[in-house]
Amino acid sequence: MTPSLYTFIDAKDKFAASAISGLAGRTSKPLINAFNQITGNEAEKKATLDQSLRGVLGDQIVEQKASCDDYLALIYISIEAVTEGICSATTPFLLLGDVLDCLPLDQCDKIFSFVEENVSTWKSSTFYSAGKNYLLRVCNDLLRRLSKSQNTVFCGRIQLFLARLFPLSEKSGLNLQSQFNLENITVFNKNEQESTLGQKHTEEKEDGMEVEEGEMGEEEVPAPCSIPIDYNLYRKFWTLQDYFRNPLQCYDKFSWMTFLKYSDETLAVFKSFKLDDMQASKRKLEELRTSAGEHVYFAKFLTSEKLMDLQLSDSNFRRHILLQYLILFQYLKGQVKFKSSNCVLNDDQTTWIEETTKLVHQLLKEIPPEGEKFSAMVEHILNTEENWNSWKNEGCPSFVKERVVDDKPKRPTRKRQAPEDFLGKGPDRKLFMGNDELTRLWNLNADNMEACKSDDREFMPSLDEFFAEAIEQADPTNMVEDEYKVVRNSNYGWRALRLLSRRSPHFFQPTNQKFKSLADYLDSMVSKLAKELPKDIPSEEIKTGEEDDDDNGDNLLKESNDSPSMQNKIVSNQQMDDVAAKLGAKWKTLAVQLEMKASELREIETDSEDVDMQAKLLLVAWQDREGTQATVENLVSALNAASFSQIADNLSEA
Amino acid sequence: MGLIELLHMSVFSQSFSPCGKFLAAGNNYGEIALFSLSAALGPDANELSQKPILAFAAHDGPVFSLLSTDAHLLSAGNGEISAWSWAELIKKNVKAAWTRRPNYKSSLEIPEINAMAINPADNSLAVGGGDNNVHIMDLENGVFKSVLQGHTDYIHCLSVRERAAEVLSGGEDGAVRIWDTRTSQCVHCVEVYKYETCARPQHGRWISCLTTDSDWMLCGGGPSLSLWHLRSMSPTSVFPLSGCQRQATFYQDMILTVGEGQCVSHCQMGGEVKAQIPCTPHSINTLAINTNSTEHRVLTVGGSSDHIDVFTNLSYRAFSLRF
Repeated sequence: MTPSLYTFIDAKDKFAASAISGLAGRTSKPLINAFNQITGNEAEKKATLDQSLRGVLGDQIVEQKASCDDYLALIYISIEAVTEGICSATTPFLLLGDVLDCLPLDQCDKIFSFVEENVSTWKSSTFYSAGKNYLLRVCNDLLRRLSKSQNTVFCGRIQLFLARLFPLSEKSGLNLQSQFNLENITVFNKNEQESTLGQKHTEEKEDGMEVEEGEMGEEEVPAPCSIPIDYNLYRKFWTLQDYFRNPLQCYDKFSWMTFLKYSDETLAVFKSFKLDDMQASKRKLEELRTSAGEHVYFAKFLTSEKLMDLQLSDSNFRRHILLQYLILFQYLKGQVKFKSSNCVLNDDQTTWIEETTKLVHQLLKEIPPEGEKFSAMVEHILNTEENWNSWKNEGCPSFVKERVVDDKPKRPTRKRQAPEDFLGKGPDRKLFMGNDELTRLWNLNADNMEACKSDDREFMPSLDEFFAEAIEQADPTNMVEDEYKVVRNSNYGWRALRLLSRRSPHFFQPTNQKFKSLADYLDSMVSKLAKELPKDIPSEEIKTGEEDDDDNGDNLLKESNDSPSMQNKIVSNQQMDDVAAKLGAKWKTLAVQLEMKASELREIETDSEDVDMQAKLLLVAWQDREGTQATVENLVSALNAASFSQIADNLSEA
Repeated sequence: MGLIELLHMSVFSQSFSPCGKFLAAGNNYGEIALFSLSAALGPDANELSQKPILAFAAHDGPVFSLLSTDAHLLSAGNGEISAWSWAELIKKNVKAAWTRRPNYKSSLEIPEINAMAINPADNSLAVGGGDNNVHIMDLENGVFKSVLQGHTDYIHCLSVRERAAEVLSGGEDGAVRIWDTRTSQCVHCVEVYKYETCARPQHGRWISCLTTDSDWMLCGGGPSLSLWHLRSMSPTSVFPLSGCQRQATFYQDMILTVGEGQCVSHCQMGGEVKAQIPCTPHSINTLAINTNSTEHRVLTVGGSSDHIDVFTNLSYRAFSLRF
């Protein structure tokens, strides 16, 4: 059976019909059905479908009955068709192009919103490669149609869309060769004849005499302009715009001289004409914001000479001009790959540029409102520009970092374990602080709380000690005068009170006595304490009693010191001999606890045959290694760990 | 005029023509120069248009004061007042319409005339100078009507208070005297240097600038420039300007003042100095605003230089006219 012929027109009509039927419901199902029903080659069918969709759109546009939504529905269907695989990927873009070309701008706005919303679709893999060029062309066509000053927002939207669609390093939007818009010419009245002043007296001047005669108040009606105009400044000021338009002129010596002269004059005017109307400009800004909700709108410079005065008083205008200067300077100073080699500044020019940059920044700071912030921001932005400039110079490298490929397989590294002693987990529970002194100090008592609680930190004196002098003075036989008594000393009295509150129960006993002064109170307390003291006899004996107490105190202190100090003593030779003798052949077990290396053990074995000697050698080796850490305490703990507790006890007792 | 003379020139006085298109300036050599403002302000102005269209010797001594009436330019030199017709001057016809001399007591010295002021109410001219007196001359017939005596030292400046028909005079003796023109009596005498807020003993007590706005009076010189309320005769604001001010004027809601110091100071009634605009002469003697014409409304400033600075916009110097 011969396959039925595939007729293009029939297929196209069928597709068109199903497309239209699908429009209402915005579904591509009819289209898909039609596609599957018609017999034919896939490629042929796809091409036919493309054509038919375009035809449908064309008809719709021509009839002008359809609304934007219909066009959008058709395009939506076509997108679906692409995802279904029945339509080629370029079709939606072609449709979009057709629509945007044929519609007036206000409708294009709506269509473009659709385009913006579907950025993600365009960026997906099926669509992106096929459609990006089409989209770019469509957007550029639109931009060309739009006026940048009338449809600023729309232009901005298109630009933003392009920015979102293309990757950051897409070069088509770049001004790669750093070209300037040379057509941006600022027109102003250079000729007297074109002056907007209606007075004819400015022409035909032979000598001053005739001019006056002509002016002597006859026919000439004064022009509507009624303010004096500074033509000199006007001309010089607007000539500067030509230099901003084409900075390459600055490299030419003659033009540079002119630029220099005019700039100096203009900046001198800016300098002397200070804007300080902060209140007025604040109010103006408020008004602008509330009325339009947008910022000040600026299209292009208006260059009428009548406006010169007003422009000079306007802070925004000044900011524009000063910013132009800064941008120009950045270009002149910067390294741009596409500048020709004779575009180099000489030293004088560079110095002038630097000085003027400082002046410009200072002027910017003085312009209200918030001049300082503006100046800082501008500086920051221009610095950022430098980055972009260098990026361009390098040929716009991509921003995506390549993954570094790992060729060598990772060798599993063995973690070296920290020595046990270092972490305090060893048998001695000793911490090595890396420094002998530190280790010693730390190992006095590793636990801070415990150390604070130890007895030798008890600094509070006993009652007897403290009040000894007072008691002695209270004794009437000593005949100490009141004013010399130590209880009169306010410092002494304060400390006495503190001590009493800690140690004496008398402090808390309520008393009916009223004391006029601290000294009196202390007198009574002292007498009470004196009675309580074990030896209630004249001063000498009291003294000795206290001395005894002191001695006892000292002894106590000494004893408490003894135990730690003894432990911290380095093991003496005698002690080592004893231990070695007791260890005997079992020295190897101790060696393990002392963490001796196997090599050292073998050395010891070879050194001597006698086990006692070997034990001794072990201990000696240990001592050598430990140095100041070869303390009794450590040895005792090692012995205990090696289950030589008896030897350990003997050692500690010695 | 040789370069040396130009170097030593000082401009002491200025006056605008009644049509507002010309400026007359008097200098220390006794010359008066006439400048065309319309030429200088025109779009095709060049170096030549900034030179005088006419310069002539008017007096023997320096021309300390210039004044314009409807048709005449009055100039004061050493002890005499000359009148020149503007129309004739513009035609470059240098011939004085008349010359008068007040009655001076002593004929040995000829005192200079420092200041002149016109009282439009009775068309009289008040003249003050080195003989410590103010002479009032009737402009219609040229007769000196009265002499106001009271100052103990020479008079620097005069001002007319129109509403109250009073003449104010400030002098080297530090006193500002207010005279009633009808009775020729001194109504008030204010010794500014005695007020602590204004006094600057290091500069002296002389009053070199005086101007009045009917309710307010500005005076300064040795003492600081201060704004006085005339009804209460008390200083309301004192301006913190360092030099001695030689001329001050009310303009719109600001006060413009010049003096020692290379700038025009813009001050506000409250006492703060809003701006100081730099200009060419190092020390400025005279300040004038052309109120006779709107399209040539400029501020001109002259002082110890042969340049007269012209300001089209009050805030910056546009260009200079040169003698």
